[in-house]
Amino acid sequence: MDAIITMESKKYLQDRGLLFWMIILPILFTVIFISVFTSGVSDDVKTEVITSIIPGYAVMFVFFVMINMAETLLNDKNSGMIARIASTPLSPYKYLLGKWFPNLFVVLIQIVILFAFGKLVYDISFGQPFALLLISIVLAVTVTGLGLALALLVNSNNMAVALTQVIALGGAVLGGLWMPIDMMPSFIQNFANFLPQFWAHQAYQSALVGELEMIELAKSISILLAFGLAGFFLALIRYPHFLKKARG
Amino acid sequence: MLSIQEVKKTYEKTDALKGVSLQIERGICFGLVGPNGAGKSTLIKMIASVIPDFDGEISFNFDDPQSIKRHIGYIPQDICLEQTLTALDNLYFFGKLYGLKGKELKERAETVLKLIGLEKHGKEKVLKFSGGMKRRLNIGCALLHEPQLIIMDEPTVGIDPQSRLYIFDMIEALKEEGCTIIYASHYMEEIERLCDEVAMIDQGVIVEQGEIDELLKKHAEPALFISGDNCLPDDIGEYCTVEDRKEGYLLKANNLLLIIEKILNYVKENASQLYRFELVQPRLEDVFISLTGSQLRD
Repeated sequence: MDAIITMESKKYLQDRGLLFWMIILPILFTVIFISVFTSGVSDDVKTEVITSIIPGYAVMFVFFVMINMAETLLNDKNSGMIARIASTPLSPYKYLLGKWFPNLFVVLIQIVILFAFGKLVYDISFGQPFALLLISIVLAVTVTGLGLALALLVNSNNMAVALTQVIALGGAVLGGLWMPIDMMPSFIQNFANFLPQFWAHQAYQSALVGELEMIELAKSISILLAFGLAGFFLALIRYPHFLKKARG
Repeated sequence: MLSIQEVKKTYEKTDALKGVSLQIERGICFGLVGPNGAGKSTLIKMIASVIPDFDGEISFNFDDPQSIKRHIGYIPQDICLEQTLTALDNLYFFGKLYGLKGKELKERAETVLKLIGLEKHGKEKVLKFSGGMKRRLNIGCALLHEPQLIIMDEPTVGIDPQSRLYIFDMIEALKEEGCTIIYASHYMEEIERLCDEVAMIDQGVIVEQGEIDELLKKHAEPALFISGDNCLPDDIGEYCTVEDRKEGYLLKANNLLLIIEKILNYVKENASQLYRFELVQPRLEDVFISLTGSQLRD
């Protein structure tokens, strides 16, 4: 399995597209939106906006790793690499784990960089660092679990890109990542409860200002994990079919 | 080395293989020929454990019967390389998949790079390689773990003659080292050059198998190519088949000596002019066409 992890990691380190989507674009969005929404407002409002936008864009952009996951698995399927690897002693499930693991790290690194940027440039406070770390790990598991399901369900890169846009952007709008959820109509506020983005964002915001209660943390983490596990479950159901197609 | 018994494979409603049986002896190069869609790649993928679900039985006779996959090197028709990484990265990757590590992995990678003629390109990205270099690296990735059985599926598709010759030399060297090789191709001249035995597969069944010389003797008629002015007796068609070719005639018969004698006598008596008069070596392709017909396959 470490062969797959090493190979994937080397590929990702050279992938400028990944760097742009996962790091540069979210930083650009963060800077632009913070400067738009904080011009001419009081310091209290400014802090509130920053505390919402930084985790908001972090949560939104981590979902774009799903494109990467779909692309790498579909490329391996279409190039014959999965069939080739099937002839080696590596088990198919270790292959899948090897493909999943680097993406988990990509997401974690992405979150660390985006929050570190927030700290360095906007001096956000890390009120409950342990809670922030826990939310980040669980969010990474959730997103990559969903990404695995997407990768094994779609038949083309275009389909993966389209569905990821719907999940990432739709979830961002409806989950209150772009504007405070209190400002949304009540039916959207209700719908937000069914989105992982909402729970991650709410938990991050409370943890940043040090107001996340244990029970709320447990609830958010459980819901996020449920989404992630649902993704893994779907992926495992779909995997034998995917393998059969890939092997020819 | 390898015994295949009544192997069958069905894809939805299509029978890809309809009961294939083969015996492949240790240390030989065994050719597998057939038109596109004949079932070659399916059979090869079954032998290489890529397709695990099928009817029938495939059994191996390796020195160490545990972990069969460690004794097989599979070279697929597709170029299965990570193009954005270097040749060495690709070799390390496949080496690790076969359980090689540390110093052993490095040494094997260096040895294989030399074997495939890429020792000066180990640190270059595969993306910059020519088609021939990629093909050779594709082969190299399957040789790292020193397999006893090497399975090659169309390893020379789309490459230049120099790379093709290099691959032929590699295969001959591997054979001398005692490896058993299964070589699937639809280039008959490659099979004739490299293989000791051949199986011809068409529409999911083996239509003929055996040593190449035996098959040529059994199925291919000796032939004579002739061109000239007024060089064929009128009754020659009674003794042989005559094919009108672009620059002359191709005569096929079991008793060619009789035909030669007749033609030479006729030419002498009529003072005819002969431009070309040559014996044509029977080819595997003729055997294949005679067994499977010339109809196009879908």
